[in-house]
Amino acid sequence: MDLLSGFGTVLTWENLLYAAIGVTIGTLVGVLPGIGPALTIALLLPVALQLDDPTGTLIMFAGIYAGAMYGGSTTSILLNTPGESASVATSIEGYQMARNGRARSALATAAIGSFVAGTISTILLAFVAAPMARVAVTFRASDYFALAVLAMVTVTAMVGASLVRGLMSLTFGLFLGLIGIDSLTGQARFTFGVPELLDGVDIVTIIVGLFAIGETLFIALRLRDLPAHVTPLEPPGKGFAWLSRSDWSRSWRPWLRGTALGFPFGALPSGGAEIPTFVSYTLEKRRSKHPEEWGNGAIEGVAGPEAANNASFSGVLVPLLTLGIPTSATAAVMLAAFGYFDLAPGPQLFEKSPDLVWGLIASLFIGNVMLLALNLPMIRIWVKVLRIPRPLLYTGILVFATLGVYAVSGSIVDVFIAFTIGVIAVFMRRFEFPIAPVILGVILGPMMEIQFRRALLLADNDLTIFVRRPLTLVLLLLAVAALGLPHLPKLIARIKGRESTERLAFSDED
Amino acid sequence: MDPALPPGAPAASEAEPSASGPLAVGAVLLLTGFTLLWQAVSAAADNGVTLGGPTLAPLVVTGLWVVVAAWYLLEAVRKRVSAPDRLERGAWRTPVLLLVALIVYSVVLKYTVLGYVLATVAFVLVSARLLSTRPWREVIVRDLATAVGLSVGIYLLFTRLLGIVLPAGVLPL
Repeated sequence: MDLLSGFGTVLTWENLLYAAIGVTIGTLVGVLPGIGPALTIALLLPVALQLDDPTGTLIMFAGIYAGAMYGGSTTSILLNTPGESASVATSIEGYQMARNGRARSALATAAIGSFVAGTISTILLAFVAAPMARVAVTFRASDYFALAVLAMVTVTAMVGASLVRGLMSLTFGLFLGLIGIDSLTGQARFTFGVPELLDGVDIVTIIVGLFAIGETLFIALRLRDLPAHVTPLEPPGKGFAWLSRSDWSRSWRPWLRGTALGFPFGALPSGGAEIPTFVSYTLEKRRSKHPEEWGNGAIEGVAGPEAANNASFSGVLVPLLTLGIPTSATAAVMLAAFGYFDLAPGPQLFEKSPDLVWGLIASLFIGNVMLLALNLPMIRIWVKVLRIPRPLLYTGILVFATLGVYAVSGSIVDVFIAFTIGVIAVFMRRFEFPIAPVILGVILGPMMEIQFRRALLLADNDLTIFVRRPLTLVLLLLAVAALGLPHLPKLIARIKGRESTERLAFSDED
Repeated sequence: MDPALPPGAPAASEAEPSASGPLAVGAVLLLTGFTLLWQAVSAAADNGVTLGGPTLAPLVVTGLWVVVAAWYLLEAVRKRVSAPDRLERGAWRTPVLLLVALIVYSVVLKYTVLGYVLATVAFVLVSARLLSTRPWREVIVRDLATAVGLSVGIYLLFTRLLGIVLPAGVLPL
């Protein structure tokens, strides 16, 4: 079987080392506030290019993505400040558990739940990926165009608090994607007479601006609001792996239900991990036999969302690997990483580079084992990491960010572009424009345009190609429907005859 | 962002979120949108528009920009956009100074012979000072140790192990 040969690929000293480095860095950036997997992968891209080992690099990047999911739970439980947005749901009950002297149980159910979910969802990925790739072979240019539209629209509609602000972010991203020479005709677009812009704006520059510069300047705006109190760990109690018998029996069902939610939500273009984690939180709260504990540290409220969080990561890899369509900011950066190595994710990848694909999938199993070992026994180290003084942490982020842009381009113009985007990002944060749609616009926009023009070329400029092909039409109709998705709770409430201001919407930046 | 209140403005409005913020953002977005749309239209006028050509996408994107920006401005006028909280007076000083420090740092890196290590030590000290709320005497040893460790560490890692060139500058590294 393909997966077995994948294990053959990953079980070399070199690739095991890449996986170990990846999950360690991933946990680190997951623990640290203000720095997430998307930024980390972007900053490591220039270094990775230097190493010139696509398989090892992508194994490392997948490890970073998965590790960030694990590490985020530590911060949300001990600091009540989620290291990344996918851990927001975990922090609600997790922080309460920590305050009640049950930090170790919360950390353990999060870590073991992540391991269970990560393993099961990777098995699902291994089974779904190859058939999905075979289906994807039949996709035409017009289908890819429609898929890109669908992915952009759903993510935009789902993240952030308002559709108009999400669309504005997306439009900004689409505009950034247009800058540079048109790949088909060589015509310069929006270069404003600056020769450095002819090659377009590099994705590393954009991500560094949006996340590193933007986040740090935004933090500088509100220095006094920074929380810094880390809840201390209690001495280890009885039970296996810090979980008592009742903790185990109350955790395993939420783990499985969280996995069942996380994987499909991750695979659908819904913006990654936020939605399944909140759905899991709500589901567990509703099913709970201990309603009185909710709000005071119910273990199910940590177990479910953390499992959903990690399962969604394997789900995100399904459209990324089989179609080349990213559904979260981090997936978009990983897609860019494939591009740097002249690899195109999609159905051909499974035929052309089976070693890479199956090695990557196999590495997720290994990575999960490593993460379990890294997170529970070494928790004291991560608690120390949480105590890094904030001024030095954010200064370090700025130093690495400047270095990253400088190393990838060597040009001061790119550094200044990153600063400009960073200033824009400060205002985006202040006025609550979501960040993730910008990145999806930058990555998916050019892809969408090329597929659109290719489809028209094949159809002799006949626009009906986009409505004649049933698959294309269905995907485009779904995209239109997705615009109404955030209003669904309101509509349901109105049908039921009561007003509700609730919206299905979550923050981004995972 | 936060224009000084006119004299005699009611003190109660201090705590209220500023409503002029979203209006200003909407106006800037719309103006930028029109400028970019104008560029796209001129390019289309010069080269013609075809369905498969390179001038269509700029028209679509900048057109969308204008529409969405107008929509946002309308929402802001109808006060349906949640305005951010008011900041303390002088809150913008720190991010502006930090940005200036970043610009100086990158210019020094590119155009002077100071070199990566010295420039980074200086930048780390300035940035850590700007972001800190504690008196400098308490943290100077910690900051200095971090500045030197980080700069030398990055320099050696990148130039010796990863083969990425960084300016050595005046230090005999």
